[in-house]
Amino acid sequence: MDLSAFLIQLFSGLSRAMVLFLLSAGLSLIFGVMNILNFAHATLWLVGGYVTYSMFEFLGGQFGASPWMLLPAIAGATAAMAAAGFLLERYLIRRTYGRDLPEQLLLTFALVLIIGDLIKLVWGVENRRISLGIEPIEMLDTFVNPYHFVIIATGVAVAFGLWFFLHRTRFGKIVRAAVYSRNMVSALGIPIPMIYSGVFALGVGLAAFAGGVFLPLLPMSLGVDHDIIVQCFAVVVIGGFGSMLGTFVAAVIVGVVYSFSILFWPDGALAMVFLIVILVLIWRPWGLFGTEMRY
Amino acid sequence: MNADNNNWWSRLYAKYGLSGPAAIVLLVFFLLVPLLPGKFWTIVSTEILILGLFAMSFNLLYGYMGQISFGHAAFFGLGAYATAMAFTRLKTAGGEIATLDFFLSLLAGPPIAALGALIVGFFCVRLTGIYFAMLSLAFGELLFYIVFSWYSFTKGDDGIQGLLPPPYFQDAAHYYYLTLAIVIGALAVMWRITESPFGYIMRTLRDNQRRAAFLGINVRLHMLVNFVIAGAFAGLAGALWGPFSRSVSPGLLGWQESGIAVFMTLIGGAGSFMGPLLGSVIYTFLQAVVTMFTSYWPLTIGTIILLIVLFLPGGVLGMVEKGIKARRGAGAGEEKQP
Repeated sequence: MDLSAFLIQLFSGLSRAMVLFLLSAGLSLIFGVMNILNFAHATLWLVGGYVTYSMFEFLGGQFGASPWMLLPAIAGATAAMAAAGFLLERYLIRRTYGRDLPEQLLLTFALVLIIGDLIKLVWGVENRRISLGIEPIEMLDTFVNPYHFVIIATGVAVAFGLWFFLHRTRFGKIVRAAVYSRNMVSALGIPIPMIYSGVFALGVGLAAFAGGVFLPLLPMSLGVDHDIIVQCFAVVVIGGFGSMLGTFVAAVIVGVVYSFSILFWPDGALAMVFLIVILVLIWRPWGLFGTEMRY
Repeated sequence: MNADNNNWWSRLYAKYGLSGPAAIVLLVFFLLVPLLPGKFWTIVSTEILILGLFAMSFNLLYGYMGQISFGHAAFFGLGAYATAMAFTRLKTAGGEIATLDFFLSLLAGPPIAALGALIVGFFCVRLTGIYFAMLSLAFGELLFYIVFSWYSFTKGDDGIQGLLPPPYFQDAAHYYYLTLAIVIGALAVMWRITESPFGYIMRTLRDNQRRAAFLGINVRLHMLVNFVIAGAFAGLAGALWGPFSRSVSPGLLGWQESGIAVFMTLIGGAGSFMGPLLGSVIYTFLQAVVTMFTSYWPLTIGTIILLIVLFLPGGVLGMVEKGIKARRGAGAGEEKQP
């Protein structure tokens, strides 16, 4: 493989990794704090993408079409979906705390079906994408879409932002403490229900943000959430539940492995990903960067 | 039904729990279905039986062993593919298959599925809870993508078509009775297994693995045996599926298919032997009716599941059980809990 083909696969793998990271980070936080495995996470990501699309179209109609309209569209969609996540936790997810794992899985699985069909009702069956009209730039005898760099930079920036939030702010520290012991945090007089809603809103917001950022590269279409969610599970399992660093590394591993194996075994690229998941679960069930205590 | 303990219905309940009355009601239902005009309900009922068997094999892991498998469809699909491949090799160039060869191809399903379950289970039984679910999901997806991408062997995305059963079984009612007979036989064997000392060891593993280990039970070995049994029955269901739908496709191994078994089990009630089959009746029947009127089937079933999780934990049979207990007053009579 020559250098130019290598670069193309590397960039597409890394941008894929960033989307997986943004989704898995929320998934992992929600699982870490509330012990809920949110099957509907990728479906909410998809809704975020569709909402961004609609806002982009609306803003373009109001103020004249411009690629820069994507920024307010993403911001609006992220805020709207975070609010939706807040309400979803408060009025639905909350009812299943203390229930058995399968019932919780079933509830979020039901949301996948319901929300998936609602998307079909609202946006129809056609794929939705945004064309920003960016010219590919020449690099080492090949052409690369510069938007890849935007995505990678955004992903890394959000990763740093999350790290700062979790390690340097009060709310973030409470969230991390809640991952280890909800009872202790609650005993210290911190209102746990508020933390739950906040974390769920944050996770859904991140997912919606990822949906918007990825819109110019990947069209939103019905059913992709089913593929993406199992890949996010793969990322969270490889990295270790509750570990941000692990989630980031695992997202890079999954994204890059996927985009390189697609060259050699197009239909089976995801088989490679699941092979890694199996090996990790057999070798270290708590993940590469997770702690053994939850196992 | 009155609360008199001497009538046969109450005695049946005392002996078999809710599964006894449920079995009789379902049996009457299944025997009467072919009398309905038209083939439609016979075909729907065949699907109910096959998917019900699949869901009941899933419940051997979930209801009895306490582990949730999100890759159980892999064994359903393996059984379906084993049968489909044997079928394709045994049928003549004209596309016909001799009755004996047809039954031989059905026999190919369960052992191959059991073999797959042995390999997957060997690793899965080392974990519990969410990790068990994740590892089974990963294995299921791995098998799905192998079948999906290995075009020269499995025909990949195209699936395998032309699985036309012998002339006698091409009639919907005949294939239905064949399925009914096989499923009743399989359920009898499953009932025997779940009521054996082995079945009670499974309940112990579900309720307290550590205590089971202290009692000298080889936890992993017993879990593995149960995993293989569940895989074999899923394979049997898969074997029946191919000739029923005349084709197999990789989707049979996917996680959405596993989700169907989970749905059916929780709708019917995981706490009852007959629960998953009742769940299959409700799920498949609803699907047949709802898809007549709207293409928004996922929205419908999603809403139903949401309501069940919120307001009906324990499924339909769990609710009936609760109702009976409430009428009799707490503590009256020994309840048969699986």
